[in-house]
Amino acid sequence: MKRWMRRVLGAAGLLPVAAPSLVWAAGGKASQLVVVADTRVIQNAALKYFADLYNTNIWLFAVWAVVLTAVYGCFLGLLMDFIMARTGLDLKSRKIVEH
Amino acid sequence: MKRLFGLWVLFFALSCLVVPAASQAAEVAQGKVIAVDAAAKTLTIEEFDTNISHENPYGRPTGITSVYRTEGALVGIPPEPGDVVRIAYETKGSERIAIRVMNVSKQDLRGK
Amino acid sequence: MDWLYLHMPIAGMDIFWPGLVLIGFAVGVIGGFFGMGGAWMVTPGLNILGFPMAFAIGTDIAHIAGKSMVSTMRHSKFGNVDYKLGIVMLVGTMVGIECGAQIVMFLERIGRVGSVVRWVYVVFLALIAFMVFYDYFKAVQKKRAGIVEGEKGTEGITWYKTLHKIRIPPMMHFKAAGFTCSAWLPIMVSFATGVLAGFLGIGGGLLRMPALVYLVGCPTHIAVGTDLFEVMVSGLYGAFTYSLKGRIELVAVFVMLTGAAIGAQIGTVATKYSKGYGIRVAFGCAVVACMVSIILKQYKYNAAAAVIILGAIGIICAYIMAVMFKGAAQELREKKAREQAQASF
Repeated sequence: MKRWMRRVLGAAGLLPVAAPSLVWAAGGKASQLVVVADTRVIQNAALKYFADLYNTNIWLFAVWAVVLTAVYGCFLGLLMDFIMARTGLDLKSRKIVEH
Repeated sequence: MKRLFGLWVLFFALSCLVVPAASQAAEVAQGKVIAVDAAAKTLTIEEFDTNISHENPYGRPTGITSVYRTEGALVGIPPEPGDVVRIAYETKGSERIAIRVMNVSKQDLRGK
Repeated sequence: MDWLYLHMPIAGMDIFWPGLVLIGFAVGVIGGFFGMGGAWMVTPGLNILGFPMAFAIGTDIAHIAGKSMVSTMRHSKFGNVDYKLGIVMLVGTMVGIECGAQIVMFLERIGRVGSVVRWVYVVFLALIAFMVFYDYFKAVQKKRAGIVEGEKGTEGITWYKTLHKIRIPPMMHFKAAGFTCSAWLPIMVSFATGVLAGFLGIGGGLLRMPALVYLVGCPTHIAVGTDLFEVMVSGLYGAFTYSLKGRIELVAVFVMLTGAAIGAQIGTVATKYSKGYGIRVAFGCAVVACMVSIILKQYKYNAAAAVIILGAIGIICAYIMAVMFKGAAQELREKKAREQAQASF
């Protein structure tokens, strides 16, 4: 049973690889999609900056996106540890939990 | 490890600042394509405003027409007369140079 | 009702923000509680809320990057990572993510990305649901209490012994993990999971963890650490490549990250107080509900899809929160009583 389950799991791994070729066989015209952020309707200065960066310099936008996400993730981690340490709960005995 | 990691973050943050924030603010226009000149690589649109409503999902026509140079621009689904496009552009002298051209009506993101 | 909608500056659409907060929060709670990804609900959830599929995937993968930073902070020393193995696998992971992302972009060009990704998700979620229910029934049969994850690697499956015999150069010795094999073995494993992660916008741990244990032959504790490392790298690289392709919505990433960080605390604390296996069934039901709502979305029943997915994850969140608050209140009461007892001596 378990072995069978793993086989199914493996097949699912192949699916994303197989899917496009099936679609390719079905045909369809290929045209790149380009998105332009509509900076006309954005009021917030920071959002406007990033939307503008998206339109003009996508590389810098990508670097910002990764850095901000990482930094914000770290910040939240520290903040939460700080808060949880003050709840008075014993958190040392909890198991390691990821994803 | 933590320190190494911190250094990486710092390095990235610095390189972000060092890479000159050269993004000369581009402007954005949206409107209906009136003419496409493939030879001259220009696009003429009638601009729409930002008053989006149920009747005018892409904005209301303003009657202003403008010409954009599309050479070197990132163009999505090729615009044809009648399509609604959104263009990010820079103004150089009296010319409007398109950077990115989005075919709003044809790719209608919501359906994807 | 305009205030309920938040404008997404890049995709240019108005999104029902309480839904966004709920998805982020639920991923945190459910991910923290069950110790296995919650990312599977984010891509479909975002898509159902109105994000174009490619944006949903990009946003999901970026939020994984942020979330894995949180967990990396928590085990800042990375306990049990075989860095050599991690770096070798990095090659496969990154190439895999890129391939996955390219497939998504290709599907987007031909206008099929929505339906193809949705159907792959349906299969993927069916598999998760099957695994969860299978685990549950097995546990019921054996009438054994305890945590399921601990069982991984304890069975006598030795496929990796055969795979280690494949001697395609370069051969590599991994000291921390304690085995020697062809470098192509971990690279291929990480490539396959990378493709899946890049295509579905998930961390890939669900597949990478068992693959590391059964196919590569990693000791379980090394597999956990190395997987964590890979999730972080794949998240960061995925965030980068999807932003470069212009398929990311930073505002949504931030909103969800905030929700996820708070939710993760509640979820992990709740594990302390939860007893029994019943909750696993609830989890399986949430997966099934998610699957059903994807199918509804595929056939354009958008409102019904949104109600089902948000309702299901909302209920399971509420349940876990109840477990956590009840347990925590109890613990604090007992602590206080102990202190008072000590003080009276």
